[in-house]
Amino acid sequence: MKTARARPAGSRAPDAAKIARTAAPRRTREAATLAFFADLSQALAVSLDLGQTLSETVNRVADFMQVEAASLFLLDPATQVLECRICVGPADITGTRLGVGQGVVGTAVAENRAQIVVDAANDSRIWRAADDESGFVTRSLVCAPLATAEGPIGAIEIINRRDGAPFTAADAERLRLIAAPAALAINNARMAGDLLEQQRLKRELDLARRLQKSLLPKRRRDHFPIVAVNHPAHEISGDFYDYFDLADGRIGFVVGDISGKGLDAALLMVRAASLLRWAGKDGVAPAAWLARANDELCETTQDGRFVCAIVGYCDHAAQRVQFAGAGFPPVIVQRAGEFTDYASGGPPLGILAGIVFDEVDIALDGGTLYAFSDGATDVRDGAGRPIDNAGVRKLIVRHAAASPDARLRGLLTDLKRLRLVDDTTLLIVEAPRAQMPEVLLERRFAAQAAELRSVRSAIRQALDILAVEPELRDRLVLAVDEACANIIRHGYGPHHEGDIGLRILRDGPVLSFELTDAAPCVDPASIRPKPLGECRSGGFGIALIDEVMDDWRIQPAQGGQGNLLILRKRIDGIGSEEASEA
Amino acid sequence: MNANANDVASEIRDGYVLVRLSGEVDLSWSQAVRLAVLDALDHDTAVGVDLSEVSYIDSSGIAALVEGFQRARTRGSRFALVAVSDAVRAVLELARLDRVFLLVATPEAIVTVA
Repeated sequence: MKTARARPAGSRAPDAAKIARTAAPRRTREAATLAFFADLSQALAVSLDLGQTLSETVNRVADFMQVEAASLFLLDPATQVLECRICVGPADITGTRLGVGQGVVGTAVAENRAQIVVDAANDSRIWRAADDESGFVTRSLVCAPLATAEGPIGAIEIINRRDGAPFTAADAERLRLIAAPAALAINNARMAGDLLEQQRLKRELDLARRLQKSLLPKRRRDHFPIVAVNHPAHEISGDFYDYFDLADGRIGFVVGDISGKGLDAALLMVRAASLLRWAGKDGVAPAAWLARANDELCETTQDGRFVCAIVGYCDHAAQRVQFAGAGFPPVIVQRAGEFTDYASGGPPLGILAGIVFDEVDIALDGGTLYAFSDGATDVRDGAGRPIDNAGVRKLIVRHAAASPDARLRGLLTDLKRLRLVDDTTLLIVEAPRAQMPEVLLERRFAAQAAELRSVRSAIRQALDILAVEPELRDRLVLAVDEACANIIRHGYGPHHEGDIGLRILRDGPVLSFELTDAAPCVDPASIRPKPLGECRSGGFGIALIDEVMDDWRIQPAQGGQGNLLILRKRIDGIGSEEASEA
Repeated sequence: MNANANDVASEIRDGYVLVRLSGEVDLSWSQAVRLAVLDALDHDTAVGVDLSEVSYIDSSGIAALVEGFQRARTRGSRFALVAVSDAVRAVLELARLDRVFLLVATPEAIVTVA
């Protein structure tokens, strides 16, 4: 930061001051005062640098008022101590500190009123230490507070007129007038400083977030059994996850959660993430893996921070999982609708060295392992209570039919809706399914027009989770609604009753909307779209479907009873973002 | 998406009838919309259908509007869609009917627009 040096008094006399110095008539002096104010105000208005503003003020004041010395004190609002930030004159009192009410400067601030000392030798308000040290003799002085709407932020002081005369009330008034724009300018410079600082911090936080994100492993699409997602509550995260291949074909995984929030937690996260990866790289058992990381963290983490983590291994088919937890929420395993919790195998890392951790070795039996940082269980429900493991299980059940990717997105969307208060990380271990399209929505409803509104809303939600852009989303909703309406009107008609089954599937970029019914079989050849734009009432439902979808087909449903209508639309770019960005 | 209740209400105004629709017009009540529109055309030679509060319309709702438009044309009446919401406009455009209907911004324009 640039700082202007204090100049000795009188080294640069502005034109206004030159005029003032001459024993001019009253009007000339007034003009000079005005010119000085204009000059000072202008100089202060362009200065957003605090050091420069202070220096500019004191030097110009000393020049204009024709004094031997001048100084400016700023008040620290926290400590209520006044400190001399800049001075001109024979004695350097920069750094001098005074309490509010102490000396003339302290009195000016305490009373928020200009003080005038005509005869310093006989004035009790004088604080003499400065004179005694420097040998400078204060004869007369004026001090004005730097007043703002929120009270004084400091004071400006001038000492000894050069013509030897004592200060007058007119001098005090002039200094008071000078102090007003100076206070304003100092405030502005401080605010500009704060703003710059904020911008700098934001830039650094952005950088830190990008760095953190870059530490998370890339989403694997090669039939990989692990999917994870990390959602920071703020710019930066104290949570992380990691997974990596071992030489023996197994996969190692880690979920970590650093205590506390903010920058220091984020920095420890970066360290803990690399430490945990290093400690698990050679495939030691999970308990030893945690013990190794714990001992290392205990040696180097002293500020009371700790790390909760779960580490483990699985095979590519996710048949067996071995894991150990350190102060981590219980791992949930879901097998065929049954839930089992596995509590943590020990306390958090970084607190006590030499801990022995318990580990678990389980068969997944086609089930799913869920590890989630406490950000997920700390999510608040409508009544403000944490949802806990039970709440997370409910959400898991809700999304159980979806593919791991879609499930994580769905879980996170639900958690966000419930109000996330902490960084949240979710990791799933599950046997990769063979090219199964992802089920985004599955619903069965009575073939009645009154059902359509809630069906549309469900489709809209499913498409929103994929971030399909709204215009296209609305068209897709319309097309599926038209198809349902046709099944109700023409498939079942007035003489039949039954259900409609709706499934939305995603296979890469292709969405399929499958509608099954139990209505009499439809002859596909009998369905012909009517041209659009033709002004006739009715019959353009099919034309709208044609317009919106890439293709559609109708075929007898499995088992021969009813029909299966499949509408398809390719949307490049949907859900292609990494799960970690969901 | 707004969650307006489905509603249709007709108001007799100075020189025209305004049929106000709100909510999601679909198969479940488009018949009521159709009847309200045809009824209004029986009542006056100028009819506007206010669609500003309609957040969704399907082809059966569009069909009711088309039928009103045709009825008005055969009788030499005026028929306009008023303050068409974005959701309705999108469907009209998709059905290529946005240039078929007379679209006006305010109810007053039903009688003033040439």
